[in-house]
Amino acid sequence: MLALVLQGAEGEGFVPPSTKDFELPPIFGDNPYTTKPIFLVIFSVILISVFFIAASRRAAIVPSKLQFAGESVYAFVRNDLAKDVIGHEFLRFVPYLFTLFTFILVNNLFGIIPIIQFPTMSHVGFAYVLAMFTFFVFHYVGVRKHGLYKYIKEIMFMPGVPKAAYILITPLEILTFFLVRPLTLSLRLFANMFAGHLLLLVFILGGEHLAQGAIGLKLVSPFAFGIGIVLTFFEFMVQCLQAYIFTLLTALYIAGALADEH
Amino acid sequence: MWTIFGYLLSGLLFWGGAGYAADKWLGTTYLTLIGLIVGMGGALYLVWLRFGRE
Repeated sequence: MLALVLQGAEGEGFVPPSTKDFELPPIFGDNPYTTKPIFLVIFSVILISVFFIAASRRAAIVPSKLQFAGESVYAFVRNDLAKDVIGHEFLRFVPYLFTLFTFILVNNLFGIIPIIQFPTMSHVGFAYVLAMFTFFVFHYVGVRKHGLYKYIKEIMFMPGVPKAAYILITPLEILTFFLVRPLTLSLRLFANMFAGHLLLLVFILGGEHLAQGAIGLKLVSPFAFGIGIVLTFFEFMVQCLQAYIFTLLTALYIAGALADEH
Repeated sequence: MWTIFGYLLSGLLFWGGAGYAADKWLGTTYLTLIGLIVGMGGALYLVWLRFGRE
């Protein structure tokens, strides 16, 4: 079968999806700020705002379906993420965590919504910006709580460690807190969305290409589409999971910065 | 769990990087390996300090 596929690929020149599929041209003229991801971000903000304003208007004791949906998401972030992780000071971080979760979730889900079908976060810049927000938030919180000197000292010098070990450990702590954390946070989100989109492209474009090939290839094509559909559900899971992990880690970092000793 | 991963990564990056720089500077080839091992050891020690000790 592989030989058949290769033969077909050589004959008709199947172009495998690559990073070029992520470089979308500007929609209006040459303005590089009018690409699809930018509009998707704006659209997601409008979408989330409209949904939650509609869900919280005319709030009733016996909730409507819409209100129930909105409150479920809010309750999930508030109780399962903020309250369980951060502890008694959680309430002032709920707005940030809630915004983060819904924003990432909606932008990820764009990857499998028909017609839109592009996860915004598969452009690394968006993920960097989100990680920078989290970076500033958790350091700011730590500095406000402990004061700059004490906060840095607690990061650098863990109590109860022999002095010689600090040579080994202190650089690692600094690197972890100031570089590795924001970097892994953004790259994890970006890479998952990027790889997921690429995977879907491979199977769905491949299925389409097979359908135009010889009769033997036409028979295989439905399987490619079938796997494409299965992977779409898989992607749905990954997209929800990544939004959850990003928010969970943000909450964990905030909790770490607030803790009395690290 | 992700915190542990972060420590391991920064351990390898920092001490492995230091070993690599030392290799370039001194013209040797084994210091990168030593740096990586030291970094991994330091990171594991740090993980133990954070999570293992009561």
